[in-house]
Amino acid sequence: MDPHLALQLIIQGILLGGIYGLIALGLSLIFGVMGVINFAHGQMMVMAMYVSYWLFILLSLDPYLSLVGAAAAVFVLGYLIQATVVNRILDYPEAMQVLPLVAMGLILENMALLFWGPDHRSPQTALSLQTLWVGPVMIDVSRLIAFVLAIAITILIFIFLKKTNIGKCIRAAADNRTGAILVGIDVDRIYNTSFALGAATTGAAGVLLLPLMPLSPHMGHDFTLTAFIVVILGGMGNLIGALVGGLILGLAESVATLFLPATLKQVVSFSLLVVIMLFRPQGLFGGKK
Amino acid sequence: MSKIRMTDDRMDRRTFLKVTGAAGLGVTVSAWGVPKLLRAEPAPIKIGSVQPATGPLAVIGQGQRRGNQMAVDYINSRGGIQSLGGAKLELLLGDSESKAEVGRSEADRLIQEGAVMLIGAFQSGVSMAIATLAEQRQVPFVMDVAALDDITQKGYQHVFRLFPTVSVFGETGVAYVKQIITEKKVEPQRAVVTNTGDPFGKSQGENFIKWFEKSGLPIEIVDHITYPLGIHDLSAEVAKIKAAKPDLLFPVCRPGDSIILTRELHKQRVPLMGIISPGSPGWYEPKVIQDLDKLVYYVMDNVPWVYPASPVYQEANKLFQEKYGTYLDTNSGYAYAGILVSADALNRAASTKTAALLQALRETDFKDHPMVGKAVQFKENGDNINAATAMVQVLPDPDPNRRVKVVLPKEFAEADYVFPAKQLWERE
Repeated sequence: MDPHLALQLIIQGILLGGIYGLIALGLSLIFGVMGVINFAHGQMMVMAMYVSYWLFILLSLDPYLSLVGAAAAVFVLGYLIQATVVNRILDYPEAMQVLPLVAMGLILENMALLFWGPDHRSPQTALSLQTLWVGPVMIDVSRLIAFVLAIAITILIFIFLKKTNIGKCIRAAADNRTGAILVGIDVDRIYNTSFALGAATTGAAGVLLLPLMPLSPHMGHDFTLTAFIVVILGGMGNLIGALVGGLILGLAESVATLFLPATLKQVVSFSLLVVIMLFRPQGLFGGKK
Repeated sequence: MSKIRMTDDRMDRRTFLKVTGAAGLGVTVSAWGVPKLLRAEPAPIKIGSVQPATGPLAVIGQGQRRGNQMAVDYINSRGGIQSLGGAKLELLLGDSESKAEVGRSEADRLIQEGAVMLIGAFQSGVSMAIATLAEQRQVPFVMDVAALDDITQKGYQHVFRLFPTVSVFGETGVAYVKQIITEKKVEPQRAVVTNTGDPFGKSQGENFIKWFEKSGLPIEIVDHITYPLGIHDLSAEVAKIKAAKPDLLFPVCRPGDSIILTRELHKQRVPLMGIISPGSPGWYEPKVIQDLDKLVYYVMDNVPWVYPASPVYQEANKLFQEKYGTYLDTNSGYAYAGILVSADALNRAASTKTAALLQALRETDFKDHPMVGKAVQFKENGDNINAATAMVQVLPDPDPNRRVKVVLPKEFAEADYVFPAKQLWERE
């Protein structure tokens, strides 16, 4: 086996895994706080990508500069979805919670189709073709930036949850909803904020992906699934788990190319999922219930 | 009235009531001032179009729909189907979502809604499913685009295809490659073939390799990489391509993955003499040309192509540009031609009955289409005898809409081809 090729694949896998982790972080946060699985997750990410795309086309604003703006837009979207839809379904059986969120995903996807059409859009940004070379091994600059920012955002979310007042309220509401209500936390508002925060992180991840892959209305679904696998891998509701799960999945998918045809990529990720479910159903970092 | 035949020349009470009732109703309706209903122009003839309008191929699917619809509008603006009293065509829309089972149920729905012919379906897998349905339901199915040989190898009576088959692609593609390396006196040693994992991609890739090996060209295919349709990342695959050290790359793509592939080839600095597609979308679509810009220059693609010098093309293309802002490409061109051929058959059949339509389709000899190639004529199995491919190349031109040029065969060529091409990262 070619050692350069293996090294190349490992680096690419880890870098992409960081972004997977960030996408999954939002999903895990939402699940951890409210016990709801956001099936519109990937579609929300795509919305942020379109916002960023628009800012790039209309104002020539590089995606890295519009990151905050696009994430903020999806923050608002997430806040509204939680306030209007998700808060009403929290006490429903799980199977019934799935449907409104799947529906929300379809609505977002078709809105994107309506507004932007079905084309694959992939404008060339300033850094989208930049590379660094370490000997014969190539490091894709936009992938590296995405990885670094993804890790940075993850750390920021941690600090936010540990140190700030709202963060503490979120953790309180996640731990014990009734208790949180009793000590005077406006749990509905905290839920809105948590969902919005989860949406914003996935939005940020989407923007980081923009220089790397063509944008189309239908790509959201794949990423919902990826995030779902990562979250189960790391442990539902566990934020460290999301990051590590992302890295593992990215690495596994990339390195598997050495041994398996690329058509079996999804087999790799789902096999990983099945193995984890068999031997550690609570996920790698999940505690016992 | 001639249908009311009395058994004993005497009108019985029931028939009398029916006839007078109907006549009375007619008079009443006329009296209400809607006589148009009674002297109505012939009912529209419905053609069911199933295309991948949403899903991973939505870009192309929408283009296909537009091609179908524009041809319908064109026929209608010329007074509809003359032999059927100027009946207008009506396009019923179905969306396969790129899935065979959805395509089949959509086709079924359109038949139930009254479609007398079907057209579609861009993907071979979906077309196969619809072909089987068309055979069961005895509705003629004209495939505008679909390349897999198998579809017409099953002895179906109701299935026709304008597009070249995968075999035609393979044979002519390899012949063009041979011509290019002979004319340019280059000696590539190694090549890699990549394709998407759907039926079209797989058969296109495998078939090209088959013809390639049969041709005795002194080039070794050192790797064959298949990846799923709608993939978001090709960095690992391109790393493998680089490790195989090819001189030539033969990719079978779609608009999404062609962009990722080319950028990744640039980033990983994969040196190549040229990129020659055995025949696939992903290289000539306006959005791809715009987004890849210089990176897509000099890519060659062995595809059925429009014939820009033909008046039919010029007229259709003008309308298409006015209406949708992009040019009529191979696929939408075939979608357009498919409806013209169907309308021609309807006109000669002077009927919407299946038997007459089949007869008319088999006798098709249709010259006035916008594509490279001779008149459309169907073989016994439904394939178009004169379906052909051209080699096109993306060449520098200030106007992005004029960058795709026919370079081979010489008699249709608009420009000379450039080969070997400058490396992707050396272009200014």
